[in-house]
Amino acid sequence: MEESVISFESVSHGVGNTKIFSNLTLCVEKNEKVLILGKSGIGKTSLFRLILGFEQPESGHILVNGLDLIQEQIHQIRQEIFYLSQDIDLMDDIILRLLTIVWEFNFSKELPMEEVNQHLIFLEVSPDILKKRTRELSGGERQRIGLLMGFLLDRPIWLLDEPTSALDDAMKKKIATHILSLDKTMIIISHDHCWQNNSIVRIEGWS
Amino acid sequence: MGAQDLSLFSLASLLIFLFPILYISRYLKLGINREIIVGITRMVLQLSFVGFYLEFLFKFDSPWLNGVYLLLMISIACHSILKASNLKVRLFFTPLFFSLLIPFALVLLFFNGVVVRIDNLFEAKYLVPIGGMLLGNCLRSIIIGLTNFYSGIKKNEREYLYSLTLFNNRAQALKPWFRESLVAAINPTLASMATIGLVSLPGMMTGQILGGSIPIVAIKYQIAIMACIFYTEFFSVILSILFSLKTGFNKFDVLKTHIFRK
Repeated sequence: MEESVISFESVSHGVGNTKIFSNLTLCVEKNEKVLILGKSGIGKTSLFRLILGFEQPESGHILVNGLDLIQEQIHQIRQEIFYLSQDIDLMDDIILRLLTIVWEFNFSKELPMEEVNQHLIFLEVSPDILKKRTRELSGGERQRIGLLMGFLLDRPIWLLDEPTSALDDAMKKKIATHILSLDKTMIIISHDHCWQNNSIVRIEGWS
Repeated sequence: MGAQDLSLFSLASLLIFLFPILYISRYLKLGINREIIVGITRMVLQLSFVGFYLEFLFKFDSPWLNGVYLLLMISIACHSILKASNLKVRLFFTPLFFSLLIPFALVLLFFNGVVVRIDNLFEAKYLVPIGGMLLGNCLRSIIIGLTNFYSGIKKNEREYLYSLTLFNNRAQALKPWFRESLVAAINPTLASMATIGLVSLPGMMTGQILGGSIPIVAIKYQIAIMACIFYTEFFSVILSILFSLKTGFNKFDVLKTHIFRK
C-alpha cells in the first residue's frame, strides 16, 4: 500500500476548554483530493493549523510524508505545503514586491514575469494588480493573488481554506476544475458546490 | 570653579509655583492633583537618595563598586523596560540584561578610554553620569522597540503565520515587524539629534556650563554623548529583539501566549 501523505492517527485537539475533535483519524494518499464539508466553527481550520504545526494536538500523531510533526522536522514539512488561508493573510506590500520577495527567497532566482503573466491571464485579472498594495485588493482579487502564489510556489501539498468564496460562479468552476486536475495532494475546505461535482474528490462530511 | 550651592530654603521656595498649579488643576477638574504631588515627592526623594549614594560612590571611587553599581542600574532598567513593554520579567530578564550590557559596556568603555582618554576606565565621575544618560535613553527606545515588535505580531499573528508558510523561515517572516520596531525605537533620537541646539540646550551641556566648563568643551561632550546614545540605542534595540526570540516563540515558531503580562 502506498504511504499516506497526510495522516492523523487518533488525534484529539481542543482550544481552551472546547474540544474540537477527539480521536480523529484521517488519511490522504498521494495526489488525492479531499473535500471537508461541515458547518463553520467545527474546527476545520484547526485541522490546517495542526498540519502546519501552528497548534499542537492534545494526543495522537500527525504525519506528513511519513514524518512526525516535531520540531526537528517542521521546516521540512512546511516546505512541502502551500496553504491558502481563508482571508489570505498576506502582509501589506505592493503585490509585485511581495511576489518577488517570496519567489526569490524560495528559489534564489529572479521572478519569471512571463509565468506570472500567464497565470494572471488564467485568473482573469489585469497585470495592473501587481502595482496595488495588499490592502487595496478586493476579496476576489486577494483570492486570485493567493492562488497565483500557490501556482508559483508549486509545492506538492495544498491546504485550501475557502479558496473560491469571493469569486463569481463561472470563475469558481474554472478554478476548481483546473486545481483538481493538478498532480497535488489536497485538502479543501469549501462550501462552494464547484468542488463537490467532481468524481476526483473524496468528500468527508463532518458534523 | 563650580555652580553656586543652593540652600534647602531656596530650593523649597520653588514650591511657590506649585500652589497656583494645584489650584488651576483643581478648578479645571483635571483630576491629576494627586499625581502631581506624588510625582514631585518621588522626584525629590529619589534624587536625594541618588545624591547620597553618588557622594558615597565618588568618595570611594572603587572600580569594583562602580562596576557593580552599573550592573545594578542595568538590572533596574531591565525590570522597568519589561514592565512597560507588558512582557513577563521572569522570562525576559536574562536576554534583555545581556542585550543592554553588551552595547552599553562597549560604547561606555570606548567613550572613557578612547574619546575622553581617562586612565581609570571605571572612574566614577565619568562612568556614573555618562552610564546613566546612556541607560536612560536606551530605556525609552527599547520599550518602544519591544512593545512594537511583540504587540505587532500578536495583533497580526495570522499575517505572521501566513508569511511563515510562504517563506518557511522565521527570521524572514519576522522582518517587517523587526524593521518597523527598530525604526520606531530610534526615531525619537534621530529627531532630537536633528533639532538639538535649535530648540533646546541639552541638560548635560547646561550642567557642564553651570559646573564651570567653557561652552566649547560642553559642546564637544554633548556631541560625543549624543553619538554614544544613538549607537547604544541602535544596537541594544536590535539585540533586545534578537535575544528575546528564543523566549518569545515556541519551537514551532509560533508566538507564545503566556509571555505577556495581564
